[in-house]
Amino acid sequence: MIKTGYKTKRTIGNIVSYIFLVLISIIWLFPFVGIVLQSFRSYATESGGMESYVIPHQFSLDNYKFLFSGETNYLRWYSNTVIIAFFVAVLQTIVVLCVSYALSRMRFKGRTLLMKSWLVLGLFPGFLTMICLYFLLKMFGLTQAGAIPGLILVSVASSGMGYYVCKGYFDTIPKALDEAARIDGASRSRIFFTMTIPMSKPIIIYTALVAFMAPWNDYIFASYVAFGHDKSYNVAVAMFRWVKTNDYQGYFTRFCAGGVLIAIPVVLLFMFLQKYYVEGVTGGAVKG
Amino acid sequence: MAHGSKIKKKQNLATVLSALGNDLKKIGLTFKEGDIKTKLSFIIFGLGPLLRGQILIGLTFMVLEALFFWYMTGFGWMYLSKITTLGTVATHKVKRKTVYGDNSFLILLFGVLSVFAIILLILIWRLNVEENRKEELALKAGKKLPTNAEAFGSLFDKHFDKTLLFLPVTGIFLFTLLPIVFMIFIAFTNYDYNHQAPANLFTWVGLANFKELVSFGSEGLGPTFFKVLAWTLVWAFLATFIDYFLGLAVAILINKKGIKFKKLWRTILVMTIAVPQFVSLLYVMKMFANDGIINGFLKRAGLIQNAIPFWSNPMLARITIIVVNIWIGIPYMMLIATGLLMNIPEDLYESARIDGASPWQMFKSITLPYMLFVTGPFLLTQFTGNLNNFGVIYLLSGGGPGTMSYAGNAGTTDLLVTWLYKMTVTDSNYKMAAVIGIMVFIVTATFALGVYGLLPSVKDEEGFQ
Amino acid sequence: MKKKLVSVLMATAVTTSLLAGCGGGAAQQAADTAESTAEEAKDAVEDTAEAVEDAAEDTAEATEDAVEDATEDVAADDTDYGTGEIKIWVADNVVDFTKEQFDKFIEANPQFAGYTATVEATGEGDAAGNMITDVQAGADIYGFAQDQIARLVSAGALEEVEESNAEDIRKTNDAGAVTAATVGDTLYAYPLTADNGYFLYYDKSVVTDPSTLEGISEQCDAAGKNFYFEVNNGWYQTAFFFGTGAELTYDTDNDGNFTKCNTSYASPEGEVALREIIELANTKSFQNGSSVSAATDCAAIVDGTWDADAAKEMFGDNYACAKLPTFTGSDGKSYQLSGFGGYKLLGVKPQEDENKLAVCDALAAYLSSEEVQLARFNAVGWGPANLNAQNSDEVKADEALSALGEQLKFAIPQGQYPGDYWSLATSLGDSVISGEIKADASDDDIKKALDDFQATCESYVQ
Repeated sequence: MIKTGYKTKRTIGNIVSYIFLVLISIIWLFPFVGIVLQSFRSYATESGGMESYVIPHQFSLDNYKFLFSGETNYLRWYSNTVIIAFFVAVLQTIVVLCVSYALSRMRFKGRTLLMKSWLVLGLFPGFLTMICLYFLLKMFGLTQAGAIPGLILVSVASSGMGYYVCKGYFDTIPKALDEAARIDGASRSRIFFTMTIPMSKPIIIYTALVAFMAPWNDYIFASYVAFGHDKSYNVAVAMFRWVKTNDYQGYFTRFCAGGVLIAIPVVLLFMFLQKYYVEGVTGGAVKG
Repeated sequence: MAHGSKIKKKQNLATVLSALGNDLKKIGLTFKEGDIKTKLSFIIFGLGPLLRGQILIGLTFMVLEALFFWYMTGFGWMYLSKITTLGTVATHKVKRKTVYGDNSFLILLFGVLSVFAIILLILIWRLNVEENRKEELALKAGKKLPTNAEAFGSLFDKHFDKTLLFLPVTGIFLFTLLPIVFMIFIAFTNYDYNHQAPANLFTWVGLANFKELVSFGSEGLGPTFFKVLAWTLVWAFLATFIDYFLGLAVAILINKKGIKFKKLWRTILVMTIAVPQFVSLLYVMKMFANDGIINGFLKRAGLIQNAIPFWSNPMLARITIIVVNIWIGIPYMMLIATGLLMNIPEDLYESARIDGASPWQMFKSITLPYMLFVTGPFLLTQFTGNLNNFGVIYLLSGGGPGTMSYAGNAGTTDLLVTWLYKMTVTDSNYKMAAVIGIMVFIVTATFALGVYGLLPSVKDEEGFQ
Repeated sequence: MKKKLVSVLMATAVTTSLLAGCGGGAAQQAADTAESTAEEAKDAVEDTAEAVEDAAEDTAEATEDAVEDATEDVAADDTDYGTGEIKIWVADNVVDFTKEQFDKFIEANPQFAGYTATVEATGEGDAAGNMITDVQAGADIYGFAQDQIARLVSAGALEEVEESNAEDIRKTNDAGAVTAATVGDTLYAYPLTADNGYFLYYDKSVVTDPSTLEGISEQCDAAGKNFYFEVNNGWYQTAFFFGTGAELTYDTDNDGNFTKCNTSYASPEGEVALREIIELANTKSFQNGSSVSAATDCAAIVDGTWDADAAKEMFGDNYACAKLPTFTGSDGKSYQLSGFGGYKLLGVKPQEDENKLAVCDALAAYLSSEEVQLARFNAVGWGPANLNAQNSDEVKADEALSALGEQLKFAIPQGQYPGDYWSLATSLGDSVISGEIKADASDDDIKKALDDFQATCESYVQ
């Protein structure tokens, strides 16, 4: 009797939970469904601007055709972004691993000072330094036409300050392992390459994934560095114009289509690597 | 408390001074007791090690010195020499041709870089002296100096930290520290829309900009600064903690026994992390607009007569921003909490259940304390991140709606960072932006360092091993 | 012993400064700006010899010419313009048009054949901001809306229009366009269009009588449609204030600095205007906005000619346009909405190379000439600033342009305004829309808002 009562209570509890989860899911997905639906509204036969209805009167691929038609540099912008994201992901991961290992495993003069000052430097509002970075990059010829390597350089150069999560992860790997290896005569670098790195798959994937996702969103700095040079825009800079400036009337649905194409690879990657993301972020955030 | 810290400071200062004194003494001693090789090394870096067969070390020092002089003579000095005035030659016209004069901006930028280069040279010089001393002492004691191969090898073993950190530190120095120092200097100049390089010169003005900030007259930015600061703090607090607790709640809900498709629910939620915000938030912004689909739907359904001013009413705009931010923030916390909740030993709950604890009691006395303890650093980074959360505000409200009661073009939902952005990019008012930037920096840095020191995981760094 | 140390340190210091000193001198010659081309070195020499500027210049020029003559064949024209690349920024929809026109320009002027053009789509809004960020990396020729001109001049991003071209421009373009392109008493830009004003687009089936503001609101209300009027934009907002006779203009000096503010917003006229904005903002059909493609359920919109195509598409057969309506003020009198008549301009960046400047001048003059303005109208519908082009039959037949022309009779030519004015106007508009200035605001509140507004406008003057 008691057991059935408990069971019913639990079933009711579960039903409430399900209702709740379904509601949340609807709210969470609504904007995305909206974007996808808008992307199928033809700008030629229906309307490319804002409308007060969500479901297009008739489905069309006009927006996607437009993106691939070569009328704009969309494919170029897209590949720019992929290139930036790829290199930033690879290089940033390397830098973060190096820094984290040094800070986690080695004790040297000025170590805590370095950690603290990096923490503090990261708090300085970044926009202020944009104009300064622009002129620094310009000195190396990495603006406008050279904006893509320039953007990679800036992202990678300051990525060492993002050691936080990764160092936290390394800290959780027992030091005894290192010490045993050192007694066996292994050098620091050997330990780093043959022990620590293989044991850090989740954090490596986490770091790379986070680094890979950031450039897709980079509008402010990228537009500052690449201005006036359409061919070196990334998707965010280029497509932002479609909704923010008056020169482009009725580009909203095209913006949505472009957005869907951007979201697909990032979402897929994220879905596949979600497990590592969770492991990385929990492992790192906890220890800090 | 204040008294105590004062004493501590004095002590600190004394330690630093005596350390410096000792250091100078040691340098003097090195010179006095050193042989000719060492003495020459005081001018020609690395000569001593080189002559003693330490080719790798010697050459490194020498190359660094040469690099310094190459930089200074070819580039650095012509900027450094003008740093006191920031340039005097104005841009002028020769017939119809424009001849650019001094570029105050570049003078300041590369002047600062040159100052750093000089400091760096002094440090290298110091290391060079130390190296000489070390070698001489070793030789005197009859020890053998390490071979070049050994010196090289140590870069991958004993000195592996230097190898690992060299590039990252250089990068941060050049692309983070240098620009920040530069911007701090800008706060003491009159660099704004009327003084833009290269067409116009700007120059030092002392503390004038800081005076403008704290002046409360009709022109001063003071009152607006404090209003924007207040909203920034409220926003960061709410955005951090609401997301934290709701994210935790959702994670517990999904983790609950008997809930199926756990992965599906999580996947749905994390869509907001994966889809680039400039796409998703722009759409959400349009959804909530006065003529957007939400108002349109409510109107057609007859629920409202006039549009709900989600973005044009200051209070409502703030609330809407916080609510939309929940949409973005919950998934992060949910992911973190998911992993952590599994770490809590199940028998804790089991024994609590036997004691007759309700779910709420269990949450209160087991889950929450554990979570708060382990996610301290995460909360801190979230909070400081939200203080500077540019993307959400920029994409949603753009800082608006404006109001006549704010000065300096600030809007009612502007955070200090978005206000700074307007000042620099829209209004080219760099001097005031730099001043406010410094203020923001002081506020966030004091707070962050204070909390950072209190975090259990930082206090006990080795503890988790 | 200590002495010895000091002396060595001194020696180091002296060597350092000597070395640095020597190098510095050489470097100084090499470049005053960051670049160090031979060209620049020549400039530096000129810098030091300012007194004999012209002489030095002529010699340098002669040397340069001599060098060039030696390497290339002597051109038919007395000047050899060399080669180069001209960067042009224009709005996206005229990129192709501009490219075609450049080719025609080179065809007609073979002496400039050494030059190529890169045309980039950088809208009028972005162009000014980007030019100001880094003049040297900016475009050589760029289009911009006239409200940016003072800012561009003070940032050194606009070259004065060459004398002979200037005369031409003053003669052939409408007077407002010339005023718009002038800062102080110098002509800084080439007028491109005279259509930067606004009027009413409406849906004939909903709004049958567009003559009064109240009428439009009521008809839109009745149909459950929206009436768009961007009252939080300093540009559209003036329709009310100028309509009642309130005034707001600025005087500028030759460097683009604001020297005087002429304003009468804090006046009975200003109060009537602000009350009217409040009344409009509190109608059910009101929407704040001015972009056709961002509008939903729209039956009427105050907008400019650039949206004509989009509006035609949106309203279909019911497309119609008219001058702005009249309104009955709180004082019972009737007023005609006024506003700005504005212009789009073409600017040339200051150049370090005189030959290139000559080419840019010629090209800008060509791109803003009567034929090209007319061709541009035919290609993308931009209303010309050139008087002859304005009087051509095809321009006169354009519906949107004639509505604009009708409205411009009530509008004032837009002068120079400080960048802060636009943000301030947005704040005022937002205060009204958000209800901070309430629908039933007392006269004192209204007066106070306008006093503040006026005081802030005046504070922008240096």
